[in-house]
Amino acid sequence: MPNRAPQIVALGGGGFSMEKDGSLLDDYVLSLTGACRFGNASEAGVSPSGRPRVCFLPTASGDADHYVVRFYRRFSPDCDASHVSLFRRDQGTGGVEDDLASHLLAQDLIYVGGGNVLSMLGAWRAHGLDAILRRAWRRGIVLCGPSAGSLCWFEQALSAFHGAPRVVRGLGFLPYSNCVHYDAEPARRAEYHRFVADGMRAGFAVEDGVALHFRGTQLERAVSSRPDGRAFLVEPCQQGVRETRLEVTHLGSEMPDVDAYAGLERAKREAVPA
Amino acid sequence: MNERSIVDPRERLIFAMGGGGFTMEPANPLLDDFVLSLADTREPRILFLPTASGDTTSQINAFKARFAERACIPEHLSLFHLRDSTRSLADTVLIQDIIYVGGGSMRNLLALWRAHGLDSLLVQAWQSGTVLAGLSAGAMCWLQGGVTRSSGPPEAIAGLGILEGSLTVHADGEPERLPMWLARVRDGTLPGGWALDDGVGLLFRGEHPDRAVSSRPGAGAQRVDAIEGELVRKRVDVELLGEGPRAALGGFDEAVEELRRVHRMRRGSSRGR
Repeated sequence: MPNRAPQIVALGGGGFSMEKDGSLLDDYVLSLTGACRFGNASEAGVSPSGRPRVCFLPTASGDADHYVVRFYRRFSPDCDASHVSLFRRDQGTGGVEDDLASHLLAQDLIYVGGGNVLSMLGAWRAHGLDAILRRAWRRGIVLCGPSAGSLCWFEQALSAFHGAPRVVRGLGFLPYSNCVHYDAEPARRAEYHRFVADGMRAGFAVEDGVALHFRGTQLERAVSSRPDGRAFLVEPCQQGVRETRLEVTHLGSEMPDVDAYAGLERAKREAVPA
Repeated sequence: MNERSIVDPRERLIFAMGGGGFTMEPANPLLDDFVLSLADTREPRILFLPTASGDTTSQINAFKARFAERACIPEHLSLFHLRDSTRSLADTVLIQDIIYVGGGSMRNLLALWRAHGLDSLLVQAWQSGTVLAGLSAGAMCWLQGGVTRSSGPPEAIAGLGILEGSLTVHADGEPERLPMWLARVRDGTLPGGWALDDGVGLLFRGEHPDRAVSSRPGAGAQRVDAIEGELVRKRVDVELLGEGPRAALGGFDEAVEELRRVHRMRRGSSRGR
């Protein structure tokens, strides 16, 4: 196996499911699979065609047909695209009919759709997908997704999908908390601050159109499809919480320069307590 | 709500269908009308849970098509589209007279209910007099176990265990399930229980089967137990709905009203009042 670092791209919202020109964030995620595209093609995890293998998990939407169709529209021209439906496995129309683990572990990118994170995690655990995804992540298969597809990778997630906001235990690959759609609802920021002040662990708040790229468990870079997209580090402190705005690279104006962004550590050093 | 707060455990109702109802028999309302007749009120509140299908629009539309014009207050609860709802799950579930669970993936059904805490709410609803009904995964879920194809090939799966015994569904319609169930009952993986054909519903009053009804002539049911490693199979008598004296009553509403009166009388006499 090529020695690939685990990578997760957590979208605060956006990508093909939400943005008309959502291709910027999706293009960025696809570019991360480049290492495998041009690597040793005989290795597992590399399509013989040289195109990235991308598998969609629409679980959080209840495997909604329209969502699956939009995924194929976006990815099938350039990728070997497939999807896994956990609700259609009895009818042979689950997208993948053979062993889930061997299919998912042969991907370059696993793209998780948005929807209800509680429902998604419940179904995943029932089918053993939590353990499979952890293996995929460790192997360097890129994991990404917006909204529920972001929240799931973190240890704790603020879910405001229904009723009062609550803390949901995610898969815990990333030892932080996460809050998505940070700009979409006025109450979201205050709720996240309150939870972090009350003992939720430190983490990342991300606006629509912005994505956090983690290498291992370290934040590598924040990118945005919008010029004004923002992301924040939110940590508890003596006064309550400290919110630090992260440097975000706008994908529309420049391609990200790896050296220009020193990630979380620099943001922490430069942080001024509020 | 005081009158609903506790119900004699012997009078709690669960109606488990081997297949049938609005999703499988759009032109045959017999089982669904029977479900409505089980409620103790003229215009029951009926909640549909399409969880096992992933809350598909087709199941929800079929539910609306069946119940919109009937004497009931229908609504559905989608765990994937909760955003549209302002009520809590408890407020939605605990006011119902009937909760009707659709078919699909039993593994996902139970996982999602547990993730949202719906499993305990449903037990609470049953204890307070709500009729629990369902087909396929929505029928097996109430018992200790069943046979699911949630992962493709049929396999044994545990249910909520509100009722003792196991259940297998579509005994005639999906012939690969029955041998798997019989093997698992024989080897003790699953407790003994019932095999239901499509179109057959088994009504549990308290924890015991009270009667079996059917929407299709010829559809059957059997009770199977393993005794010292051998399977003992016993045919269950099934009443064909829509025939006999009840069907001769004329108008549907009158028939339902009559049925309800009979139910009330039966309940009254069984309590020895």
